[in-house]
Amino acid sequence: MNMRRSDEGWVMNIQNFSVNDGEGIRTTVFLAGCAMRCPWCANPEGGSLRNPMTTLMSANDVLSQVIRQLPFLRGSGGGVTFSGGEPTFQLPFLRTLSSRLYDAGVSLALETCGTFSYPEAADVLQLMDLIFIDFKHPDPDEHLRWTGRPLALVLENLRDVAESGIDYVVRIPTIIGLNAEVATICRLLDTLAEITPGAKLEFLPYHTLGFGKYEALGRPVPSGFATPSEGEMDKFRELASERGLVPVSYR
Amino acid sequence: MLTARVEKIRQNYIDAKPCISYQRALIWTQSHQRTEGKPIAIRRAQAFYDCCDLLPVSIFSGELIVGAVGEFRKCGILTPEYSWLWVDREMDHFDTRPQDPYIMSDDQRRFVREHIFPYWKGQSLEEAFLARVPAETAKIAVDTGIVDNDSKWRQAVGEITPDYQDVLFAKGFGGVAAEARAKLAALPDTDKESLEKADFYRSVILAADGIMRLANRYADEAERLAAAETDAGRREELRVIARNCRNVPENPPASFHEAAQFVWFTQLGGILSENPLALNPGRFDQYMYPYYAADVEAGRLTEEQALELIECLWLKLSEWVWTISANTADYFAGYNQFQNLTVGGKTREGLDATNPVTYLALRATEEVKTHQPGLSVRVHQDCPPEFLGAVTELVSKGTGFPAIHNDAVGYQMLLNAGYEPQDAKDWNNCGCVVPHFRKTGEWTAAVNVNFGSALEYALNRGHSLMTGELMGLPERPASSFTTFDEVKAAFYRQFSNLVHHSITATLVAQKLHQELVPRPFLSACIEQCLSTGVDLSQGGAKYNVGPVITGIGLAVVANSLAALRKLVFDDELVTMGELAEALQANWVGFEPLRQAALAAPKYGNDDDYVDSLAIEIANWYYREVHQYRDVFGKEFNTAFMGISNYLPMGRVLGATPCGRRNAEPSSEGVSPYAGTDCSTPLAAMRSAAKVNQEIHSGGTLLNLRLNHELVSTKRGQANLGAMIQTFFALGAFHVQFNTISSATLRKAQAEPERYRDLLVRVAGYSTQFVNLSKSMQDAIIARTEHAEF
Ligand code: SF4
Repeated sequence: MNMRRSDEGWVMNIQNFSVNDGEGIRTTVFLAGCAMRCPWCANPEGGSLRNPMTTLMSANDVLSQVIRQLPFLRGSGGGVTFSGGEPTFQLPFLRTLSSRLYDAGVSLALETCGTFSYPEAADVLQLMDLIFIDFKHPDPDEHLRWTGRPLALVLENLRDVAESGIDYVVRIPTIIGLNAEVATICRLLDTLAEITPGAKLEFLPYHTLGFGKYEALGRPVPSGFATPSEGEMDKFRELASERGLVPVSYR
Repeated sequence: MLTARVEKIRQNYIDAKPCISYQRALIWTQSHQRTEGKPIAIRRAQAFYDCCDLLPVSIFSGELIVGAVGEFRKCGILTPEYSWLWVDREMDHFDTRPQDPYIMSDDQRRFVREHIFPYWKGQSLEEAFLARVPAETAKIAVDTGIVDNDSKWRQAVGEITPDYQDVLFAKGFGGVAAEARAKLAALPDTDKESLEKADFYRSVILAADGIMRLANRYADEAERLAAAETDAGRREELRVIARNCRNVPENPPASFHEAAQFVWFTQLGGILSENPLALNPGRFDQYMYPYYAADVEAGRLTEEQALELIECLWLKLSEWVWTISANTADYFAGYNQFQNLTVGGKTREGLDATNPVTYLALRATEEVKTHQPGLSVRVHQDCPPEFLGAVTELVSKGTGFPAIHNDAVGYQMLLNAGYEPQDAKDWNNCGCVVPHFRKTGEWTAAVNVNFGSALEYALNRGHSLMTGELMGLPERPASSFTTFDEVKAAFYRQFSNLVHHSITATLVAQKLHQELVPRPFLSACIEQCLSTGVDLSQGGAKYNVGPVITGIGLAVVANSLAALRKLVFDDELVTMGELAEALQANWVGFEPLRQAALAAPKYGNDDDYVDSLAIEIANWYYREVHQYRDVFGKEFNTAFMGISNYLPMGRVLGATPCGRRNAEPSSEGVSPYAGTDCSTPLAAMRSAAKVNQEIHSGGTLLNLRLNHELVSTKRGQANLGAMIQTFFALGAFHVQFNTISSATLRKAQAEPERYRDLLVRVAGYSTQFVNLSKSMQDAIIARTEHAEF
């Protein structure tokens, strides 16, 4: 079972010259597999390990591609970001990649949907300079209905990450049809203000750049979602600030 | 914020079409009629003096820096002594030609045909070149797009950086003339050499007296205008202008304003003397700063006043246009005069050289958005973050400026060319991306050679695909090549032959320049010429660096050899014969094969399969060219520069194995082929940095387009700065960015009226987008747009 292997794993993409997933110029390694099933997902090829858009790669191959980028990563104060899918879904592989890069002195970041076992992943999280952790919906039933996974685990992990002392940013996919209305956002922010007071957060507006991938996978594209206006996004950031939370941007 | 004055001058610069003035040509011709029989240096110097004495003086409204090349504000001049043939042939279409049109009236045309051209019949540099160039070289090198050096026999050389630091600001032209008089008096007149030197010193005295005469006529005019001026503010300005022109360029400048006026008079002298390309103001921030500091210290000048003066100078540099043939305009598109001005970098001692004038120069370019000067910056690894920040901020404005150069590699390139370390540290740019120095005589853009043609002849029995004519060396049929090495050997054989003709064409031109067009005015601006009594054209400068042969189409040939190797020898998808047939058919009927060729590895993606071929070709080119020596015994040099030469050189090139069709553009500098660097700009930089750039002392160029979004924030600019520094740490010399969206460019194409101030990077320089021909505009749009992810 590839999920368990530490020396090879399923990779969606290795993206050089990423500039919105942390500091500086970064290389983002997209690892396949995800426990959630979000219908708006922009990376549908991350929903399974093995599909026409993923590749089985050895850790050495991934690392040699990444290391080629080191001059640019170092020069810009950037590093490597693990994304997905859900990178902790292939935890042993993620452990290999991140510990080898950590030993090479590369600054690391992780983008996670918040669904993982904290005790099992703690050692890997400790290697990170920055963790982006998603918070998609404040209502437990709605969260389960939309993502297929319980909210409780996400909140628990959020709390643990906050307590771990690692720098983190809460990411809120902001989507009309899911959560982009004042009442829902307020509830979400209230929850955050309570469990992670003063947290940094980033609202990510819905986009349709992943539609091509649905077509490539022969699946219907998401429907029923829309992108909030700049004005609405400003309003949400304002609501966050009012609650002592700190909106940030990597644009 | 632009002042109202500068904005008005700027609007005129944007709106006015350049007009041709024949005044300089007329005075020049009449002068030569009076000096027949005298030594050529004296005749040219006298003609220059007569221009300075007789040319109409025009001070235009609002100007703070004065001096005009003719009666029009936006003006080009004629230099029939270099070439009148092409003017005669082309001037009826000046108004309508697609690239760089000029306004010329029927009366003007009639006048020059009656009163100017007849005198030069049989006398011009162009005619002499055509009479002397061997037939087999002419076949390849005259208006063919295969080997091209027309700018060296239809035009003057230019390519000079006047020495403000040690000559002009130190002595003034009064001092130069005095020195020449003293030298002249000390000559014995009893040997051949001293007779020649005497002519040289006499020519320098005439040239120096000439430019001082012109300045004094401007002082007279300013006084006249001041007396008649009703506006008190303008009256005072005119008085200051008059005072300035009385003092400079005769004497060392006494203020920042005078120093700026001096720079323009020097340009003006250069223009009237030879209508040059690449007359470089050089390290402006270095020689201007002492005047800035003194004036600010004394309370005579504010930062904003200095900025306005710099902006007035930028407009002056942009208002005269280089009058060139349609063929030359294809290679140097966009009314570009290539007056390269360099800021930043290190001092001669190796310290950081930035100062307040550095930043004012960047700001001036951002504000006036003129296509001149060609603003270059030298960036070193330890440069102040504010400087890199100012550079990337200017990049984000989308003007294509500044051209960003690696301080250390420029230094290395000059060391390789034989410069002393301190002089090498003091380098400035010449033209577009040539590292240069103010005590140098060098043909920095001597000749272009079309790499693609060499491959074409190797694969097509020595014949041109487009015309069927035997242009290269006879070659056996492509179907008989059984290994990739055989293909490469045939390519190098043809390539050698093209280099050979490039050398011949250059040597013929060099010899003719010595005989026919000595350069008294510009020699007066160069230290060593004065002390040794030798004209620039005779090798009088401290450094005589061998002419630069610019290679065009490195990416096309690397991509083509890679595709050929992959399709024929690795994958065995086709035979050599079939591939040659597909090229002959311009891929018609071979579309699947063309798709396979397009899918083969492409230079610009950090893929060693193809990058290794680019390195090999570039190294081979260096060795081949360096075997040859010029008229001064100096080794020829190589460059991968830009200019717009990849368009005309593509036009004569048949289909290439990379998947390119007949006549499509070739590639520029060390840039990837347009649209094929589809990974990231980092990968494009990676590929380009592999090409041992520092050995190509004539300069290397990488042009990249960035999505504007990427650099619209401070954070994005900081990332760009880091990218640049990393690229330089990898050993690269130059990079320049276009940051305009293709949507904007398309809009500008559709509604040129609304986008007349839109500056884009052509290659090695920036120019007004709407002044480019449709095909140039399309080529710019086609360049890969690197969006953020
Ligand atoms: S958690 Fe992220 S990757 Fe997984 S399904 Fe949801 S949006 Fe897609």
